[in-house]
Amino acid sequence: MSKTGTDVDSRYRETLQERYRIIDGPTLKKMVVASVDWLRTNQQIVNALNVFPVPDGDTGTNMVLTMQSAMDEMNEKHERSVSQVAHAIAHGALMGARGNSGVILSQLWRGFSRTLDGHDRMDAALMAEALEEARETAYKGVVRPVEGTILTVSKDIAREAKAAVQNGATSVFEILERIVDAADTSVEHTPELLPVLKEAGVVDSGGKGLFFILEGMLRAAYQQPLDEPIISVQPLSAINLEGATEAIEPGQDWEVIVDFHPEGSLDLQNFYNSLEEMGTSIQVGEGDGMFRMHIHVPDKSEYAPIDYIRGLGTITNVAIENLMIQLDGRTQQGGIQDLSLQPIEPGQNAVIAVAPGIGLARVFASLGVTGIIEGGQTMNPSTQEILSSFEDLPTEKVILLPNNKNIVLAANQAAELTVKEVFVVPSVSVPQGIAAMFAWEPSGEFKAVSTNMTAAIDEVQTAEITTATRSVEIDGVNCEAGQVIGLLNGKLACSGDTLDQVMMEILDIADAKSRELITMYYGEDLSAMDANQLSDHIREQFSELELEVHEGGQPHYQLILSIE
Amino acid sequence: MTSETTNLGRITISPNAIATIAANAASQSYGVVGMASKNIVDGISHVLTKDPHHGVEVKASEDSITIDMYVIVEYGTRISSVATSVANAVRYKVEQSLGMPVRAVNVHVQGLRVTRTD
Repeated sequence: MSKTGTDVDSRYRETLQERYRIIDGPTLKKMVVASVDWLRTNQQIVNALNVFPVPDGDTGTNMVLTMQSAMDEMNEKHERSVSQVAHAIAHGALMGARGNSGVILSQLWRGFSRTLDGHDRMDAALMAEALEEARETAYKGVVRPVEGTILTVSKDIAREAKAAVQNGATSVFEILERIVDAADTSVEHTPELLPVLKEAGVVDSGGKGLFFILEGMLRAAYQQPLDEPIISVQPLSAINLEGATEAIEPGQDWEVIVDFHPEGSLDLQNFYNSLEEMGTSIQVGEGDGMFRMHIHVPDKSEYAPIDYIRGLGTITNVAIENLMIQLDGRTQQGGIQDLSLQPIEPGQNAVIAVAPGIGLARVFASLGVTGIIEGGQTMNPSTQEILSSFEDLPTEKVILLPNNKNIVLAANQAAELTVKEVFVVPSVSVPQGIAAMFAWEPSGEFKAVSTNMTAAIDEVQTAEITTATRSVEIDGVNCEAGQVIGLLNGKLACSGDTLDQVMMEILDIADAKSRELITMYYGEDLSAMDANQLSDHIREQFSELELEVHEGGQPHYQLILSIE
Repeated sequence: MTSETTNLGRITISPNAIATIAANAASQSYGVVGMASKNIVDGISHVLTKDPHHGVEVKASEDSITIDMYVIVEYGTRISSVATSVANAVRYKVEQSLGMPVRAVNVHVQGLRVTRTD
């Protein structure tokens, strides 16, 4: 549940219940202004929840712009009645609706305002009715409503408001408290209803946006700050200790977590201020009178937060972890989004590469690419994903490395759809893409660089080793389903029962003896130890060649070999 | 007919199949409450019916797909936003299903459905 206001004593709540028992137009206005502020503060959190790479724009931004338009319209009019204020909001939201979530939001306001027609003020019962009408209107706008979205959240809110009134709630404040709580629960539940959310490990972004809008109103009632994006009080469960090591900067050597019961009430503002002097990444969680503090501090001051908190109450638990060690462990398994790419100079030749695995992405990053798109054999990025990877770059000159036969087309399509000067180097394998990177010059003449990179892809041979998914005979090579097969430059070249056997055979076919360098990228199914055994065998057989071994992390292909 | 040649043979995807994917994407797109006949003479607009490609026209050549969507939009929504969302959803779903780029999605708003005016 939302912890907004749980540190407030019950007498203050009673005051608020009385103050917001029945609200008028100006009060509604204030609440809406607060909701826009709070939504804007949390905009990036909502944006980060996008699962579809649909160029709809970001949900958080769309909802902020929609609410901004609603607020502008509302502020232009000097209405006193809730009816007229709500109509102004609905009208503004309609005019400024952006994206799917924005349109739905405008429909919610439209339904909400309709119920308030002719009312000067709004009480709990009317609010519950209006929320029901909002839900009704929103659901009418789509033929097949998808559950697990903002629609579901609006439904759960309406249901909760109705139940609250039936249970005797008479204050708008009470309804607000209950629906913020219901919205939170509903949002947390969305992955259960919509599998795509569960796969991505996120909650629905539109629903989360709606939650922030409502929570902003509640925070305003409590007179809590609306502009604290980094330090925010969260439910205990929301502090994900594993995720906390993202983006570790210098001076964040230790992670310290302290659970404690404060003596008396905790002055949060003071608490934050003191912590900020000690370290960064501050998070504070609260539940049942117990607090959890999370902070990153520099070396040798890992005990400072503990000493400080000891003065505030009773400490029940302390956890200290060395982040530098944790970080070393993480680099092995981080996602592509955690990669640090080279910053781009305005106007330079930028390269966007498609990489099928984290290790390969890291190789491309080390060679200086500006952007990496995750994709490969079975997960081709869409034209739009490719397009959006470079559209915002501060340069007009973009070189694409599709690194897969199936992606070349989408890359070409993306090149046609933009006003930028885009050249697609027709690399059909990762080794080709890497070879091309060696011919890249950030500040060279665009045409010449593109030509050199294209020429470079023919200088390597690519061997890919995978498992046959079905029995087939092509070009005189037979293989059974489940056998290991080797492809040389995209063509089936040999098959066999073991990885080692196929690898050695394909190196022979590729005439590796007459070459200079073999680079091995091992896939996600192989361990470093497997890779070592295989590479030892190559060294034995091809002692005169240089061999490099990298973790590629690609799916499906146990090995990708580059022979040059 | 959109086709692709693999090691094992040809794979062809008919415009009707693509239209079904597009219609399905549109039906889940917020603000779209029905599909309409392209031909005004046909006149009557339907709420999404059993015909899975009603109101969708697909032109597919060897390597490009163009889709025309004829839709009915809920009165009281911002039509430009709804239309943009439909175009995005259709392109995404079709590209995701076929692994082929969609050249264009044209959205024709043929009418509005009025449930209530305010």
